[in-house]
Amino acid sequence: MSSHDAELGLGDALSLGEVARLEEVVDRRALTEVCRSFFELFSIPVRVFSSEGALLADAHEEQEICRYVNTLGNGRRACSKLVSEVKRLDPDGRAMNHPCFTGAEYRIVPIVYQGRRLGRFVVGPYMPAERREVPRSLLVLDARLDAEAARAALQEMPRVRAETLERIGEHLARVLDLILFSGHRAFLTSNMHLASVKESFREIVEKNTQLQQAVDRLRELDRLKSNFLATVSHELRTPLTSIIGYSDMLGAGIGGELTEEQAEFVETIHAKGEHLLALITSLLDMNKLEQGTMRLHRELLPVKALLDDLQKTLAPSAAKKGVRLVVERAPDAGSVLVDPVRIKQVLFNLAENALKFTPRDGTVRFTGRVTESAADDDGFGAVLLSVPKRAIEIGVIDSGIGIAPEEHDKIFDAFYQVDGSSTREHGGTGLGLSIAKRIVEAHGGTLRVESEVGRGAAFFLTLPDPEEG
Amino acid sequence: MQLDFKQRELTIKLVYYGPALSGKTTNLQAIHELVAPESRGRLMTLETKDDRTLFFDLLPLTVMAGKGLQIRVKLFTVPGQVIHNATRRLVLQGADGVAFIADSQKSETNANKAAFLNLRQNLTDNGLDPAKMPLVIQFNKRDMPEVRSDAEIDEMARKGREPVYKAIALRGQGVIETLVGLFELTWKRLEQEHQLGQKFGVDEGQLLGDVRGKLGVKRVAREATR
Repeated sequence: MSSHDAELGLGDALSLGEVARLEEVVDRRALTEVCRSFFELFSIPVRVFSSEGALLADAHEEQEICRYVNTLGNGRRACSKLVSEVKRLDPDGRAMNHPCFTGAEYRIVPIVYQGRRLGRFVVGPYMPAERREVPRSLLVLDARLDAEAARAALQEMPRVRAETLERIGEHLARVLDLILFSGHRAFLTSNMHLASVKESFREIVEKNTQLQQAVDRLRELDRLKSNFLATVSHELRTPLTSIIGYSDMLGAGIGGELTEEQAEFVETIHAKGEHLLALITSLLDMNKLEQGTMRLHRELLPVKALLDDLQKTLAPSAAKKGVRLVVERAPDAGSVLVDPVRIKQVLFNLAENALKFTPRDGTVRFTGRVTESAADDDGFGAVLLSVPKRAIEIGVIDSGIGIAPEEHDKIFDAFYQVDGSSTREHGGTGLGLSIAKRIVEAHGGTLRVESEVGRGAAFFLTLPDPEEG
Repeated sequence: MQLDFKQRELTIKLVYYGPALSGKTTNLQAIHELVAPESRGRLMTLETKDDRTLFFDLLPLTVMAGKGLQIRVKLFTVPGQVIHNATRRLVLQGADGVAFIADSQKSETNANKAAFLNLRQNLTDNGLDPAKMPLVIQFNKRDMPEVRSDAEIDEMARKGREPVYKAIALRGQGVIETLVGLFELTWKRLEQEHQLGQKFGVDEGQLLGDVRGKLGVKRVAREATR
C-alpha cells in the first residue's frame, strides 16, 4: 500500500496501469502546440498546470489592459496577487470561474483521467460578452488611472459568451483527455514490452540453467557408463581367454581322445567363445574411441599394398560365395599415413559387409585414387578459402541389396541395424560401421556411403594425403 | 489494492483470466457498453494482432461510496494464448480478484482446465495465495452448440466453492452479474483485511447496492425479463 502515487515504481505502475503524473504521459512541446493552436483560434490564453502546480504549457500574449495596468504601481501589485491566486486554484471535480479586478474572468478546468485529478488548465483572461461597463474595482485601483485609456484597452480584450466558453473548455478537456489516453497507452505498451521481455529473459535463463544441469548430469552418467563398460569388458575377457584356451586344448586332443560328438561340442564352444571375444573387443574399441583414448601407431602405407592385401585376405570367402573381387586402382593412388592394424580392420569390416550383402555371381570392387576437393559453391572469397586439397579415397563397392537414403546417417550409429530381419539373416553386432567411422575420423579422415535400395552400396574412405602437410 | 488516505481513494484491480478466445475482451466490451458513462473510463486495448489481445485490455470504473470514498475499479484481461505466459504473470501482479472466463463448449474442457492450472501456478509464482484469492467463474458462450448443459454446470458448481455465472458476453448477458459478484467477494476480502468500512464509514450493504445501481444491474435485469 502506498500513500502517494509518486512513490510508485515501474512494477506498481504496470500492475495497476496508473498514470501517476501528467508529465509522464504527455509531451510538453506537443501540449504547448495544442494550446497555441487553441489560442490562435479563439485569441484566449491557455495554460496547463500539473497537480503540483508546475506550468506545463503556456500560450498567451499580453493583453492591452494588462500592459496598461502593469504601468501603475497598485495595478502591478494587484495583478501579480490575482495571478498567483488563479495559479493556486485547484477545483475539486468541476470547472470554476474566477474574476479579475478588470472585469475579465479566468476559467479553471480540472484534468481528470481515469477518475483521478492529474492537473488543471486555465483559460483566460477573457471578457464575458455581456459585460459592457468598466468595473469599479478597476477605476478605484490607482489614482493615476485614466478611465478612457482603460476603457480603450478593455475594448481590445477577446469577448466570449459564458456558454460558448463552457463549450470551449469542454472541448479542450476532451482533446487533452485523448492526448492523455494515447500517451498512457503508449506508455503502458512500451513498459509492458520491456517487462515482458525481461520476464521472458528471466525464464530462458532459468531454463538454460536447468538444461545445463541436465547436460552435466548426462555427461557424468556417460562417463560412468564408459567406465562400467571398460571394467566389465576387461573382467569378461579374462575368463573368456581361459574358455577359449581350454576348449582349444580339448579340441586338439590334449586332454585325451574325444568322440566325434564331443569334438563337435568343443568346436562350438570354441567358435562361440571367439565370437564373444570379438564382440567384447569391439565394445572396448568403441569405448576407447568415444573417450578418445585409442592410440594410433601410424606408418606410411601405399594404397596399392592395402588393396592387394585386402583382396588376398577376402579371396577365399569370396570364392566360396561365388562373388567376384575386382581391384580398380589408379596408377598412382598414393600412400596414407595410418595405423595399419586399425585401417585394415576398417577395410576388412567394410569388405566383409560388402561380401555378406552381395548375392552369388555379384561383384565387390575395391577402388583407390587421389582426389582434389572442389571449390566452394558461392565463390565467396574462393581465392582464400577453397584452395584445392588433395586426399586419398579408397572405395568398397558392392552390388548387393543397397541401403535406403534415410538410413545413410543411422548406419554409423552404434548398435544400429537397418532391420531386424537382415540382422538375423546376416549376423553382426551393429558396432562394425560405427567403429569404422570413428577409426577413420581418428585419422582425420571421413567415411561416407552412397547407395540406393537394390543398386548396391559404395563406402568411401577419404584420408588426408600425407604429402600435403 | 492501493489506498490513498489523503485523497480518500481506493483502487482495486480485478483480472479477467481464461483460455484463448473464451471471451475475456468481449466481457470488458460488454461492461463498457452497459455501465453508465459517468462511471466508466475509456476501454484501452494494448497492441492487438489479428484481433487477439497481446498484452491486456484495461477498463477503469469509478464509484463513490460512503462518506466520500472514491472507489476506482480497474478491470484487466490477460492474453489467453499459451505463449504469452510471461505477460499473463505480469498482468496478474497485484490482482485483488479474478474472474475466470471459461468456454462452455465441451471441446474446450481441456483448454479451460489448462488455463485454470496456469492461473493457479501464476498466482503462486506472484506470491499470491490461490486459496485466498477472491474468484468467480463464468461459463461464457451459452448460446453455442455442443455446450455443457446448465444441469451439468450446476452439478459441478456444487462441488466447488467459487460462485459460478453463466453468460453470453457477446449479448451482454451475465457480464454485469459476474462483475458485481466478483466485486462483492473482493470487497469482503479487503474489508476483512483492512476494515475499510469502519475507516471510511462505508456500509457494505449500501455500497454493494450503489455498485449494482451504478454498474447498471437494473437495466440488465429489465432486459433479461423482457
